[in-house]
Amino acid sequence: MSLVAEAFVSQIAATEPWPENATLYQQLRGEQILLSDNAASLAVQAFLQMCNLPVKVVCRANAEYMSPSGKVPFIHVGNQVVSELGPIVQFVKAKGHSLSDGLDEVQKAEMKAYMELVNNMLLTAELYLQWCDEATAGEITHARYGSPYPWPLNHILAYQKQWEVKRKMKAIGWGNKTLDQVLEDVDQCCQALSQRLGTQPYFFNKQPTELDALVFGHLYTILTTQLTSDELSEKVKNYSNLLAFCRRIEQHYFEDRGKGRLS
Amino acid sequence: MAAPLELSCWGGGWGLPSVHSESLVVMAYAKFSGAPLKVNVIDNTWRGPRGDVPILTTEDGIVSQPAKILNFLRKQKYNADCELSAKQGADTLAYIALLEEKLLPAVLHTFWVENDNYFTVTKPWFASRIPFPLSLILPGRMSRGALNRILLTRGEPPLYHIQEVEAQIYRDAKECLNLLSNRLGTSQFFFGDTPSTLDAYVFGFLAPLYKVRFPKVHLQEHLKQLSNLCRLCDDILGSYFRHGPMGISPAGPEMIDVNLRKLTQLVNKESNLIEKMDDNLRQSPQLLPRKLPTLKLTPAEEENNSLQRLSP
Repeated sequence: MSLVAEAFVSQIAATEPWPENATLYQQLRGEQILLSDNAASLAVQAFLQMCNLPVKVVCRANAEYMSPSGKVPFIHVGNQVVSELGPIVQFVKAKGHSLSDGLDEVQKAEMKAYMELVNNMLLTAELYLQWCDEATAGEITHARYGSPYPWPLNHILAYQKQWEVKRKMKAIGWGNKTLDQVLEDVDQCCQALSQRLGTQPYFFNKQPTELDALVFGHLYTILTTQLTSDELSEKVKNYSNLLAFCRRIEQHYFEDRGKGRLS
Repeated sequence: MAAPLELSCWGGGWGLPSVHSESLVVMAYAKFSGAPLKVNVIDNTWRGPRGDVPILTTEDGIVSQPAKILNFLRKQKYNADCELSAKQGADTLAYIALLEEKLLPAVLHTFWVENDNYFTVTKPWFASRIPFPLSLILPGRMSRGALNRILLTRGEPPLYHIQEVEAQIYRDAKECLNLLSNRLGTSQFFFGDTPSTLDAYVFGFLAPLYKVRFPKVHLQEHLKQLSNLCRLCDDILGSYFRHGPMGISPAGPEMIDVNLRKLTQLVNKESNLIEKMDDNLRQSPQLLPRKLPTLKLTPAEEENNSLQRLSP
């Protein structure tokens, strides 16, 4: 969105309260959604739960195409559509709800830095594993990505998406990495997160912030998704405080509120 | 670990040992950790566009990207992070990710994509260092690579157009600079008094932006307003790269102390001389009493005059 459009949207957003019929769109949970998209969607759901804002999750096969930026998840609130965690956080802030108001400048800088770390390493590693690792791509990703479409469209779309992701990986320098190097990067990232979390309940002590939502989304999805091999979830399981962190957020924000099941 | 380590990278200009961000990162880290690195300035390389510069040549082989080179140096016991706690090490990783996501697209844009800057500064500089006929091809390739990277990481389908992302990436870069400035505060380096990996990365990304003269400069102007970041760059340049990139200069902190001592001595000498001059003038009968000459002369001239008068 251009700067003018963004300013306009946040002006409008500020005037209306959060409606009851806000919806979050993602791909079909059982057959279509992929690891990285599921992680992003869960992060947004966790964030909205933490802000105490009700939202209904709706699964559509063409969610990716409906989204204004091409990425899932996106939320439909009132008559505005906002996609991806960053813009959603700003949109929610314009409406007057924020989780990071209590942080000082240095802590806000740290929070943004850690969110970039997760996006840079964990998300890219997930994309790499899904699309650039031949075993996973062939067995799982292609089948899932193209499942709502008839032949030959399912193959064409899957190959097109794979080509796009591979191009991006090459541009940022991950094109020549082997799977082991990617897993090592994931391990480093989890180690950094684990050291930052320490023994605290949330990353910034008592109150959860968007960083907690993002980390929860990614780690929970990695831990609970069945892939061709368990190496990725093994890397996360090495850090017990991260496991406890995921469990804590799951219990507090998803089960207690009667939501019961997660993906 | 006295094995000769050779680093091949792009050369320097505008007071910097190298104009290329990643090469600067490696050079700065090597200086901080005391690794003996022989810098080899290369110019005719096909490796540039593939992102393989800088390259470290060791007796075992070749190590290519900055992160891998730093890991290699750490394994050889040249570690600039030994005084950091675990949490600070985690923070380093996070801030480096922040730099790469938010600042790097704007730096690439300023150097390689912005037409005024590219055609008047970057292209002639690189073309002058690459032998013909590669000089016709390589800068264009590097520019296209940079544009590609920006669009693929920030552009939004289905309209991959540079104008839409320009405003966004500069805004993100300014925010990133503000965050770094807040984090640095008033301390000398990011984690106390000794420089570490994060300082090397910040220096590597900011120094070219700070020093190179561009026609279109709004990001540079923003950086110049953040005086603590500029001070960090100048400190590192002054203390670690004083003897130029080719030699190995002595350890930084000692140089700073020596400079401080020299400065204090100079100031003390000047004030002593001023007092002596004043006494001389008051005692001399021929001169009419007038205002102190110190107010008229510059201190340097006055010191020279006094030295000439006092030496036998």
